[in-house]
Amino acid sequence: MNKPTGAVISAKSSTKKSIIDFLEKAMDKGVFDAVIVPMRVPAGDSFAYVLIKDKSLFKDAFPIPPVMFVQGAKAVSSVTRLGKGNMKIAALMRPCEIRATIELAKLGQTDLENMTLISMDCPGVLPTSDFLSDPEKGMKQFDEAAKNLDDKIMRPVCQICDKSSMMAGDLHIGTLGAKKDTFFVISNSQKGNDILDKLGISLKDNIDSWHAKVKNISEEKLKKRKKAHKDLKSEIGGLDNLLDAYNQCINCHNCMRVCPVCYCRLCYFDSDNVKHPSEDYLQMAESKGSIRFLPDTIFFQMGRMMHMSLSCVSCGACEDACPVSIPVAQIFSMISDETQGLFDYVSGRSLEEPLPLVAYKEEELHEMEDAND
Amino acid sequence: MKKDEEFMPRILAFLCNWCSYAGADLAGTSRLKYPPSILPIRVMCSSRVDPLFIVKAYLGGIDGVLLAGCHPGDCHYEKGNYYTRRRFALIKKIFEELDMEADRLLLSWISASEGPKYAKVATEFTEKIKKLGENPAKNKIFL
Amino acid sequence: MTKTLKINKNVEQGILELLRFLLDGGKVSGVFTLKRINKEGSVAYSLVTRSDELEDAVPLFPLMPVNAGKLLSRFSLRGKSNKPVAAVVKPCELRAFIELVKREQGSLENIFFISSTCGGVYPIEMAVDGAVENNLSKYWEAVKKGEIPAQIRPACRGCVEFKPYTADMTVDLVGSSDIDKRCMILLNTKNGEELAQDMKGDFLEKELDKKILDKFQNKREAERKKLFDEIEEKMKGLDGFIDIFGKCLGCHGCSKVCPICYCKLCEFESPDSEYKPSNYESDLKKRGGLKVPPGTVYFQIGRLDHIAISCVGCGACEDVCPVDIPISIIFKKVGESVQKLFDYIPGRDVKEEIPLLTFEKDELSEVED
Repeated sequence: MNKPTGAVISAKSSTKKSIIDFLEKAMDKGVFDAVIVPMRVPAGDSFAYVLIKDKSLFKDAFPIPPVMFVQGAKAVSSVTRLGKGNMKIAALMRPCEIRATIELAKLGQTDLENMTLISMDCPGVLPTSDFLSDPEKGMKQFDEAAKNLDDKIMRPVCQICDKSSMMAGDLHIGTLGAKKDTFFVISNSQKGNDILDKLGISLKDNIDSWHAKVKNISEEKLKKRKKAHKDLKSEIGGLDNLLDAYNQCINCHNCMRVCPVCYCRLCYFDSDNVKHPSEDYLQMAESKGSIRFLPDTIFFQMGRMMHMSLSCVSCGACEDACPVSIPVAQIFSMISDETQGLFDYVSGRSLEEPLPLVAYKEEELHEMEDAND
Repeated sequence: MKKDEEFMPRILAFLCNWCSYAGADLAGTSRLKYPPSILPIRVMCSSRVDPLFIVKAYLGGIDGVLLAGCHPGDCHYEKGNYYTRRRFALIKKIFEELDMEADRLLLSWISASEGPKYAKVATEFTEKIKKLGENPAKNKIFL
Repeated sequence: MTKTLKINKNVEQGILELLRFLLDGGKVSGVFTLKRINKEGSVAYSLVTRSDELEDAVPLFPLMPVNAGKLLSRFSLRGKSNKPVAAVVKPCELRAFIELVKREQGSLENIFFISSTCGGVYPIEMAVDGAVENNLSKYWEAVKKGEIPAQIRPACRGCVEFKPYTADMTVDLVGSSDIDKRCMILLNTKNGEELAQDMKGDFLEKELDKKILDKFQNKREAERKKLFDEIEEKMKGLDGFIDIFGKCLGCHGCSKVCPICYCKLCEFESPDSEYKPSNYESDLKKRGGLKVPPGTVYFQIGRLDHIAISCVGCGACEDVCPVDIPISIIFKKVGESVQKLFDYIPGRDVKEEIPLLTFEKDELSEVED
């Protein structure tokens, strides 16, 4: 598609409310049978994705919550992994969640045929623990920060996210560069066009102000990102530094458990392949006098870089779930930018781009080959 | 459900093939009356019932779960129902500790010849569940 | 009375000396112990085979990065150890290992256990910012006095199983005022006696001081009651449960670190627990909406069903919960109540059968109709 086009929607009360109205209207017209939206949980101390069919539940819906509890791709995948089903469903999520969903689709873990992915301009999310320490305060802080485009209190990887308005799904809701009490609805696919058509929304409005603002922000963030990665590399580069960085790891594999693209039912690093007879462990220990037990921390971490860095969307879920505060997400965002760069690949950018490791070109990567050949 | 309509619970009954299912059958052929609340599932032995079935049924909104097997000592497989009793005690205790209406779960021994007992258990359990009302899990979203 | 080895050094040095003695004398081929990994107070379990590598070892460090029962299971899962190994573990780690052995996830053979009366451990997050290190002197002061150290894991605060049941050697720690000068190691078993034989030190006949430990037990029981009362206040039926677990991410981190949860593929991650599109359709018809991914409450109650009977209350689950749900207290409370049904204490004795794998003909009439 060429430069995406959009429409200006006026937000009667609040953007949140108007987005819900938009979804409700789409359900009324039969465009969607159900939607996946974030909702505040009954205790009020967090948010969860809820698949909603009964429209009365919309009163508790909460687009763009201040935290990312479950990565949305996991929610979408849970609904469509075993088939597209009979319901037409829309999922309203952050851009990195949509991108992870697209990666999962390529990995055969979700069927998007009946799914419409709607992304929104994302101001970032608060680290889960910060939010949990005082949810009410967190809500206020987030609102304030989002309004001012201030990312200092967000997850570290959100602070260096240059894809916070990236369109990868079918529709995108743009709030950047919009006039007061309005927002943009932008289509990014034929599916998106058809839906807006059915809703009587024509894509004729000028959305240059959104494009300009997004460009501006992502360029700025990209600069920050490159610098952060450079700094991080000097900090953790080399085996000793890397060992240091992962020193505290307790092998709980929480990072993998919450990762939206780590979909394996049984992780290689939990499988029998990493379980050895006692003689082997003793032998390993004898060769050095002592080994850490379990000995596989870096093997696991580097293995995970191998397995999923090409699909990593830098959402930061891993880092939030780490009980010993290892900056896993920052390390993975650095690694994945490099590995994806090898193949000019951006995870979740497009459903059509094949996963780099299941495709090849005859003429490529010569720089990796021995020059003598 | 309309307001004036009486609440008729839905009770899931796991009945062992050798005793309780036959007991239920006998209640039917003897034309004994009991409420239409029971949804029977025949299992080869009461010990086939994983306590998770009970959890799943409860969260799915079933109003009561009856687990019925041969009397202790009479198990077709000799000791299946002894294990059943322990598993049932475990899951019931968990429900009690979580304050989750353990009264919705019932373990009963009903032999093949006890058609009247089956009818009585079904009637009484239904009455008990009626008093408890609908299972609150039925409408929960955040499960 | 129990044969006891008295080493005239502070308690940690005393144990290290014993470990060195065991390794150098070839009595064991390896030693499992906590070792320091940095200056900020982080420790990790290590398998040490050379005594000079014991320099950074801190066998009694009040931290449990991983429940050692899980590690020993990993060590002996593929068959018993062919060489003798000594493991310095906390009582709940030993109990967890025994529960795993009952489940055929490890072997006790050739593993000798050195445990202690346990003052408890700090939450793992305190190791990250150096807080454990700063608290160490306070911790040992409290232990010496037989008091509950501040800020330890909630599960430890209310733990009344602080005496090891089946250790070959028990180090006298709690309420022992002279641990700065002396290391008292009770040699509970024949293996323990044999290992310590010829060790430099005095051999006496001794018992743990019952009076002191009873007093400590009372303090722990009072704490435990408080913790249980608090959680009972919140655990009010399904709504209360949903309130507590509403923020659960479904990461299953609790089950990953649980020493009892050994399944390679958890039931709740298996195809059996997955929703098909038709399940969603029928659930939406019934409820109007459903949290996705679904299954939080099912997982938690299911895990109680699966492991509460063997829960040793170590608190590892709560330590890794990214959303700070007080799981360890919930599991401990429910665990104790189901264990009581069968008069079972997990890990007390490897010969005691897991209650669900056995039965008595005449019992539990109260659960029958």
